[in-house]
Amino acid sequence: MPSQAIPMTLTQTLTMGLIQILAVLIAVFIMVPLLTFAERKVIGYMQVRLGATRLAGGHVGITGPMNRAMWAMGKVPMLSLLRGLPIFIADALKLITKEDIIPAKADRGVFTLAPIISVMAAFGVFAAVAYFPGTLFVFPKGFPIVGGLPFQGFITDVNVGLLFILGLASVGVYGIVLGAWASNSKYPLLGSLRSAAQIISYEVPLTLSLLVPVLLSGSLNFKDMAVALATGQGLSPLAIIPLFIGFFIYLTCGFAETNRVPFDLAEAETELVAGFHTEYSGMKFGFFYLAEYANMIVVSALATAFFLGGHFLLPFGLQRFVPASAPFIGQPSFLFFFLKVCLILFAFLWVRATLPRYRYDQLMDVGWKWLIPLTLVNLFVAALIRFAF
Amino acid sequence: MFKNEEMEINLGPQHPSTHGVLRVKLRLDGETVVSCKPVIGYLHRGVEKICENKSYFQGQVWTDRMDYVASISNNLGWAEGVEKLFGIEVPRRAKYIRTLLTEQNRLASHLLWLATHALDIGAMTVFLYAFREREYLLDLFESFCGARLTTTAFRIGGLREDLPPGFIKQAQVFQDRFLDCVDEYETLLTENRIWKKRTIGVARLNAEDCIALGVTGPVLRAAGVPYDIRKAFPYAAYGEMAFEVPTRTEADTYARYLVRLAEMRQSHRIIQQCLEGLPEGPVMAKIPKILKSEVNEVYHPIEAPKGELGYYFVGEKGGTMPYRMHVRAPSFVNLQALPKMVEGRLLADVIAAIGTLDVVLGEIDR
Amino acid sequence: MSEPNTPEVPPAEAPSGPYRYDLAASPQRQIVLPKTAPVPSLATYKAEVLAQAAADEAKWQKQLADFEVAKAKAEAEGKDAPKAPVRAVPRKDDNDLKTPWPVEAVDPDLLSLQGLLGDRAEEIFQQAGELVCQVKKEAILEALELCRDEGDLRYEMLADECATHYPAGKDFTFSVVYHLTSISRQKRLRLRILIPEGFAPASACEIYPSANWMEREIYDMLGIRFTGHPDMTRILCPEDWEGYPLRKEYPTVGWGQRDIDFREDRGGVLNRIAMTTAGQLGINLKQPKAD
Repeated sequence: MPSQAIPMTLTQTLTMGLIQILAVLIAVFIMVPLLTFAERKVIGYMQVRLGATRLAGGHVGITGPMNRAMWAMGKVPMLSLLRGLPIFIADALKLITKEDIIPAKADRGVFTLAPIISVMAAFGVFAAVAYFPGTLFVFPKGFPIVGGLPFQGFITDVNVGLLFILGLASVGVYGIVLGAWASNSKYPLLGSLRSAAQIISYEVPLTLSLLVPVLLSGSLNFKDMAVALATGQGLSPLAIIPLFIGFFIYLTCGFAETNRVPFDLAEAETELVAGFHTEYSGMKFGFFYLAEYANMIVVSALATAFFLGGHFLLPFGLQRFVPASAPFIGQPSFLFFFLKVCLILFAFLWVRATLPRYRYDQLMDVGWKWLIPLTLVNLFVAALIRFAF
Repeated sequence: MFKNEEMEINLGPQHPSTHGVLRVKLRLDGETVVSCKPVIGYLHRGVEKICENKSYFQGQVWTDRMDYVASISNNLGWAEGVEKLFGIEVPRRAKYIRTLLTEQNRLASHLLWLATHALDIGAMTVFLYAFREREYLLDLFESFCGARLTTTAFRIGGLREDLPPGFIKQAQVFQDRFLDCVDEYETLLTENRIWKKRTIGVARLNAEDCIALGVTGPVLRAAGVPYDIRKAFPYAAYGEMAFEVPTRTEADTYARYLVRLAEMRQSHRIIQQCLEGLPEGPVMAKIPKILKSEVNEVYHPIEAPKGELGYYFVGEKGGTMPYRMHVRAPSFVNLQALPKMVEGRLLADVIAAIGTLDVVLGEIDR
Repeated sequence: MSEPNTPEVPPAEAPSGPYRYDLAASPQRQIVLPKTAPVPSLATYKAEVLAQAAADEAKWQKQLADFEVAKAKAEAEGKDAPKAPVRAVPRKDDNDLKTPWPVEAVDPDLLSLQGLLGDRAEEIFQQAGELVCQVKKEAILEALELCRDEGDLRYEMLADECATHYPAGKDFTFSVVYHLTSISRQKRLRLRILIPEGFAPASACEIYPSANWMEREIYDMLGIRFTGHPDMTRILCPEDWEGYPLRKEYPTVGWGQRDIDFREDRGGVLNRIAMTTAGQLGINLKQPKAD
């Protein structure tokens, strides 16, 4: 592996790790607010309304004179397309400065611990996700401490990345259950029970559906898997069938794992007020919020890496039809990965604007009676294709 | 060490989907509802007592505040009830305009119902689509009487003013596009698998139970009873209108959804007839400045969007104020059926049942 | 209900609180009880009409007699004869009011109901196109059952049940009316009972389950208890509410603000607000003197 190819001192290893972690964290901290902004806007346009319109792009405020001038020149100000974008700063400020209320009968320790577990689990997953299976750039020679070292597209290259991710992701449910239990309140309790049942049920088909690409590529490593699945090396063209089905099963389970519509029963606001985080306020609620959106990004990143060909242009082994010599599209690129993640995130928002919510028992039905048998069959088909063709 | 315990939970009075201040005491076994008891009265303002101390003209203002979603229906009930008490015959043009506005209000009420019911079940987009059309209707009301919600649209004996210029044209614009809008809602819901799963077979209430519990309106019609006061006891200009009473026999939430959508189409038809056949003439009957009643009592039922809305008046000799005014509020009576609908079912069905009953707390608590 | 049906007496005095009321100083608190009990009835109407006709006739006869006397007097004195009196025709108002008076019952439903009930039906008549049948207060359940089950009546639904307070009634204080609807025959019928204070009529819940909440509302608003009701509790007002709001002696102005904790009221701001508001409402509040 490249990171081990170059000998590094301990200081260099630690500093490099810190830089990589910080880079990913900052990226996530930028992505999450952008995602909330996109959610406001995308759902807004789907619902014939404007979404957030305050701040930036208006006729008043700091950017007001500029926008007015541009309108006066007969041009649409650039900022008017992003109206409401800075609202995420206001959101963050609001969450941070709001009074942090702990209910009198709550278990203070666990109540505080729960959002931390949630957000830790969500962010920890990023450690093993590879956005780009190689070096993004090399620090110049004169750079202090890390001069001459490559900046990788991943934090660590774990060879059992999938196991790590699944393990850590299932820790997230503890945050929800503990938080709800510690709130000592009835609606959160119901919400957490729903959430626990839901996440445990959907973990099975989720894992089973992820086994399809693992089986087909024969690797647990992101990089190898992406290459194998995108270019379809040594795979029958029929492999596209289990991959395609697996992708949709995975996406369904991903919606359930992240508590998004139509599986948002844990926080079903019309039934359980706000579900597991009813009693939370301030930044503790903000952590849950952050964790939910970070989870969305993780699910999208995994879907991209496992099913959509990762950083290659085309998924499902179709990349083999693109000559590797073709400029740009023939080579893996971080841009492709990012675009695919955005596409799946858009699907999250799209579904939210379209579908109603499942009922608790129906959710279980879908999980146990449909998805698990389907994934098993799918896995069998994948194995058949892998070894028979 | 471990024991089974039922959990008592208060749904409301402050809860996102109880449509106001309804409080439902639920006993839950897990997620299953063991018993359900609606607790009402949080919005009680004593409208009946107030109206006993207001003149026949003033009391109408209070009717807006009962079913504030369908205030024009309430106005119509009051105005026609008082007219029945005094034996006033309203000019034909006024009757047509009343019918027109009441039907538009029925559309507005059903749109709000559709919006909130879909939102309760989790379908978020229908909410805003329905509000788009409702907004247009509210603008029409505003152009007619200056208020969007609390309209006080009619006067005893007819109308205060004729339709404003341009009203018919604007109403026609709405008419031309409304049916497409209903189709649009249907594309989002009618064949949606999750919507069907959440509504079919949920909150069933068969015809016998409906009649025994006094449930009227779309809930009764979705149980297969074609009872519509507009047909059974015609009032205003409904006797001259051609329309159908849509019914279903499944008696569940989905059937009520379909019935209400069909009713919107029928209302559209009635509005079209009103717009086309609007007769000329005065809009106000000749009535004295001060109405003094004789000893008399009347009960006047109309078909409000939610069911039978009845106004009961007792007049005393020479009285300028009702001796007794009582409102038979459809939501009040319909809400009685809630325990029967949800007991033994899941918590999420309680939300669907409250939504499908289409209750307005202003009317229940009065 | 095993409880005795003693009616709860509405509070006659102001509740004990930080304020006491000067009833004489607040005109809105003066309750004017109605002098008449406007229960529409054909018999009363007929009696009134007859009395009116008799009074008119007597007046006319007196006018005629006066004229005869005056005529005779004028003839005796040789003067011109006075003008003959003209019988006054009631002035026709120039408006569209056609008051619906009670008329004799001709509807077959009412007639058959009267036939079935016999002397338990006190009166039947029609008014404003509505069918009214007043039954004896003890017989209301039988009447309701007949209306629901009898083959040619079939009033399946109890649309509404409500009551009215008549403090000036001679031998009754309340009327309870039942609005029945026949969905199959598209007819409506009103049953009415007149009950004195303290009488507990039988609950209609057994026959029409929809009466459940309506009777609770009547109990809540007027204090009429129904025997055999499954849950005779208040429904709209809080459980500890005093008095019955729809009774005629119940005031329309409240008791003022009573829940101010004056220990927290530094500077007397709340106190001032309370006094001002009370003044606007016409309530003369007096603070109790320090003991």
